[in-house]
Amino acid sequence: MIQSTRPAQYGFAERWLPRLVLAPSFLLSLVFIYGFVVWNGYLSFTASSLLPRYEWVGFHQYARLFANDRWWVAVFNLFKFGVLFIGISMLVGIFLAILLDQKIRFEGFIRTVYLYPMALSFIVTGTAWKWMLNPGLGLEKLMHDWGWTSFTFDWLVNPDMSIYTVVIAAIWQSSGFVMALFLAGLRGIDDSIIKAAQIDGATLPRIYWKIILPAMRPVFFSTLMILAHIAIKSFDLVVALTGGGPGFSSDVPATYMYAMAFTRGEMGLGSASAMMMLLSVSAVIVPYLYSELRRGSR
Amino acid sequence: MAMPALPAARYPNSELEKKMGALAIKNVTKSFGDTHILKGIDIEIDDGQFLILVGPSGCGKSTLMNIIAGLEGPTTGEVHIGGRVVNNISPKDRDIAMVFQSYALYPTMNVRQNIAFGLETRKVPKKEQDEVIQRVAKMLQMDHLLDRKPGQLSGGQRQRVAMGRALARDPILFLFDEPLSNLDAKLRVEMRTEIKQLHQRLKTTMVYVTHDQIEAMTLGDRIAVMKDGIIQQFGSPQEIYERPSNLFVASFIGSPSMNFIDCHLAEQNGQIGVSLQTDSDARFLPLPNGQRLAGRVGQEVILGVRPEQLDVAHSDDNVAAISIKVNLTEPTGPDTMIFTKINGKEVVARVHPRDAKGPGETMRLALDMSKVVLFDPKTELRLE
Ligand SMILES: Nc1ncnc2c1ncn2[C@@H]1O[C@H](COP(=O)(O)OP(=O)(O)OP(=O)(O)O)[C@@H](O)[C@H]1O
Ligand SMILES: [Mg+2]
Repeated sequence: MIQSTRPAQYGFAERWLPRLVLAPSFLLSLVFIYGFVVWNGYLSFTASSLLPRYEWVGFHQYARLFANDRWWVAVFNLFKFGVLFIGISMLVGIFLAILLDQKIRFEGFIRTVYLYPMALSFIVTGTAWKWMLNPGLGLEKLMHDWGWTSFTFDWLVNPDMSIYTVVIAAIWQSSGFVMALFLAGLRGIDDSIIKAAQIDGATLPRIYWKIILPAMRPVFFSTLMILAHIAIKSFDLVVALTGGGPGFSSDVPATYMYAMAFTRGEMGLGSASAMMMLLSVSAVIVPYLYSELRRGSR
Repeated sequence: MAMPALPAARYPNSELEKKMGALAIKNVTKSFGDTHILKGIDIEIDDGQFLILVGPSGCGKSTLMNIIAGLEGPTTGEVHIGGRVVNNISPKDRDIAMVFQSYALYPTMNVRQNIAFGLETRKVPKKEQDEVIQRVAKMLQMDHLLDRKPGQLSGGQRQRVAMGRALARDPILFLFDEPLSNLDAKLRVEMRTEIKQLHQRLKTTMVYVTHDQIEAMTLGDRIAVMKDGIIQQFGSPQEIYERPSNLFVASFIGSPSMNFIDCHLAEQNGQIGVSLQTDSDARFLPLPNGQRLAGRVGQEVILGVRPEQLDVAHSDDNVAAISIKVNLTEPTGPDTMIFTKINGKEVVARVHPRDAKGPGETMRLALDMSKVVLFDPKTELRLE
């Protein structure tokens, strides 16, 4: 309607300029994202090994994948990592946000301190934590030097525990971010609601539990989406911190896929694992996008 | 709104118990760091009275309210509710209920849960809770709203719910912080009447904050006019209207506000009075019992005249009458406002539409000299 009231000579540019500007990025994503997804899907049905080989083998690669112990270790690791990372970051973040919401002094400074880890790349986080958790260099050695010689903290080199070091580093990196999101949400709550609840006789924990946190539902869901997304994508942190080791004890699907496709010469298997990841992400994202878009169009 | 009688069983105290909701605020001050918000507030009201706190934005009304409620502590001074010092008593134990300017409804709870929350916290049995909700819903005519969330309510309905939440308890003191300021004009007048009826029925002590002087005049038994953290005047609405203690109170209360005319206090023929000059007349108007001002003869004073105290002069022998030239008229329906100039100051007179003359014409106005007030231009205080 607005367009029709403008002079006619602007019509052409107005109609085509946005499309022209957007065209390169549209083409690039079409080719390099969707095109490669399709190519990868195709590869997962071939006998590709070191290099792509277009010999159709049906679901053979998927059968191999499901029979592969290392794949299941990676899947369970992702599961453990995801649940613990999302759960604990959320709890720590909410807790910090509630503490910071009590109008304390130096809030701006403290907020920056907690938010800062988010500015680091996972590679930096991973490397830093690798040093700190290394029994010969970091925490364990420090305790020994201070005289507590019976202290052991060998999770980094313990195959049963190595995935939890990834959890620790990821929580350290992300809880400040969760805190910032929740703090913004908490600040949006009218002060007088809390006052009203105080007069109603509610204690502070009850006020948060029954009134404020329920009002944080939208923040909770967007944070959940962001953290889930970080968890599934986590690759660089694992590579930097444990390298998937010891052995393959801290592998996640992304590192598994990388190892198969690019270092072990099992491109077909790698493609199949990549397809499995894509499908599980879509299973989460598509219903979410659907509900969001439907809400937006209404 | 229909006002069915309250059932005898009320929460939490029995009807029989004599409840003392008297409120006393003794020399209360409040500072945030170096900014002094309240500078020595003294107010005392009896059980069952309706106290209005009125004043311009930022004068500290909400701060005082929060101190009464216990949501903030005073820097110095004491608050007494029902005869006991409550300074160290938490809000929930002060037996008060409060309605907030922004309503402060719990956003994720429906109306029923909003009302029940305070009862639940106080461990009222479920059955009793339901009775209270039914009673309040009926009283405020919101049975049909009980299952809605605050987001699905209009401003007026939210206001009702906020009120209902306060009424669900039977406190000894109600606190209202500008409960009507977010409503449109019509709803506001309706709710004002409802609140007044409510007070007459419940006879519970109420403190009501507003910056609307009409609300202040219509609702209050006692009005405290505040400015800059100081009580400018505390008294009955009539006292404040008729005998404002200073220029601020005089101009703040009343609409259109009081006319202030600069004049000279003079003596003529043994009578003390003021000289007024209009575009068409000049008069000396003697003040009844003007002798009390004998010591001020020759000094500047400000004459305060309410618009309705300037009426059309019907008989020519009225001493305190003056002829004026009409500059502008504003018909409001029941009255017409006449704008003119006296002693160079814009003056408004409120006359019957029948008597109003058009712009440019002259008319005779009578001043009710027994009701006018005089102020000292320097101290701005009313001259006794
Ligand atoms: N926590 C605080 N810290 C510093 N100053 C404050 C604080 N709370 C209130 N003030 C100041 O105190 C003054 C009085 O505030 P208050 O809310 O009591 O005003 P009010 O009379 O209720 O005004 P309104 O009619 O706008 O509601 C304001 O100038 C405000 O800026
Ligand atoms: Mg206020």
